[in-house]
Amino acid sequence: MEPLDRLENLASSLETVASNGFQATTADNGQKDSSPAEILRMKEQMSNQCFEMAVKLQAGKSKRSSCSASDAEKDLLDYANTLEEAKIIHFNKTLALHRMQVWHAISEKLKQSDPEAVAMRGLTSCSLDLCSKIKTLQQESCELQDQITDVKKQRLDLKRLTHEKMKEMDELKRKREHPEAEKYRNVLQKGQSHLEKYQKMATITQNVLRGIIIASKVNWRDDPKLRDIAMTLEDIPISEE
Amino acid sequence: MSLLKPFSKLPGLNTANILLVENEEQFQQKLADTVVLQEKTVNVNVRLARSLPLPMENEESRPRIDLVVFIIHLTSELSFQSAETSLKYLDPGYFQGKVCFLVTNARNVSVPPERLVSVRKLAASLHCPLLCAEDQTTEGVTTAAHRLLAILKVAAGLVPMATGLYLSTLTRCTVPSDIDQQNFE
Repeated sequence: MEPLDRLENLASSLETVASNGFQATTADNGQKDSSPAEILRMKEQMSNQCFEMAVKLQAGKSKRSSCSASDAEKDLLDYANTLEEAKIIHFNKTLALHRMQVWHAISEKLKQSDPEAVAMRGLTSCSLDLCSKIKTLQQESCELQDQITDVKKQRLDLKRLTHEKMKEMDELKRKREHPEAEKYRNVLQKGQSHLEKYQKMATITQNVLRGIIIASKVNWRDDPKLRDIAMTLEDIPISEE
Repeated sequence: MSLLKPFSKLPGLNTANILLVENEEQFQQKLADTVVLQEKTVNVNVRLARSLPLPMENEESRPRIDLVVFIIHLTSELSFQSAETSLKYLDPGYFQGKVCFLVTNARNVSVPPERLVSVRKLAASLHCPLLCAEDQTTEGVTTAAHRLLAILKVAAGLVPMATGLYLSTLTRCTVPSDIDQQNFE
């Protein structure tokens, strides 16, 4: 692969240029300010460019002959996803590293005895006190919350019980009226029907007796027994016909 | 073989080279001036061309081109066609983050919408970013220059932890039907 060999040669010559210490730049650009930061920046740039060329070389070496465009597209998506995941993991690890570094620096500082460290120690003890106070207050509020929930539960239970008792009372009341009312009603009806029957019989017999007395043309006023019977006949009213 | 190759020459130190290809040669000059004025820390060289292939005479003196920008004016069909023919003279190595499409007059009413769609399809098939620019006002030119500079710095390797290939996975152009298909997957 002729272009790849040329690329390798170019990469090696780039490395030599880099190691020769930037003699080329001052000729190109008169306003170059060669502070360490600038030199570091340019070193980063060069390593980036070398990396790009190395990637190109590697891609050229491992060329797969049997790959179609659609397969390549799918693989591309997979690779992009893995790249994203790798970046996220790297970022999280960097954050964790920074945290560890900060903690290490703080702990080192606290061990020393300059005024800054003294101030820091005072600050940490203040914050510890506050944290313990917060903890106790939180515990108290938790307990109070539990008590409140207990009281609420009891209240709900009592409410439920009262409801049940009320229901029971209602049922009992209805039950007591019902059988008694029924018996009462039945008995009353029976009594009334009997009464009517006997009343009818009594009226009929009375009418019959009246008829007999009148038809027989007997002088009932003189006979005391007959007079009593005839007087009582008048009391009972004539039932509806 | 007059292909333009990305890695055939050494990169310059703290330098970035951009090639603006435009058939009409009206926007490239303004853009070139703005680009050079905007960037202070990096040495930016702008080369202008009408179309590829580039003339053989300057082959030796020409530095390594980090970013090739095709400027397409949507008002003329010729612009698009010349860009398409120029694409053949680019080495495939360029399409991994070193090519960009710049479109002007995308908001113009007289432009048929199919042209923009075809440009988008072309950019999507090549996995290249598509930028829209406004070439009439200075603000539009400065915005376009700013964006081109951002892509140029990555393509030239001047941004740590980012290469043109990596950026191209983030900035590739998509056509709306592509997005729907991806949603179904």
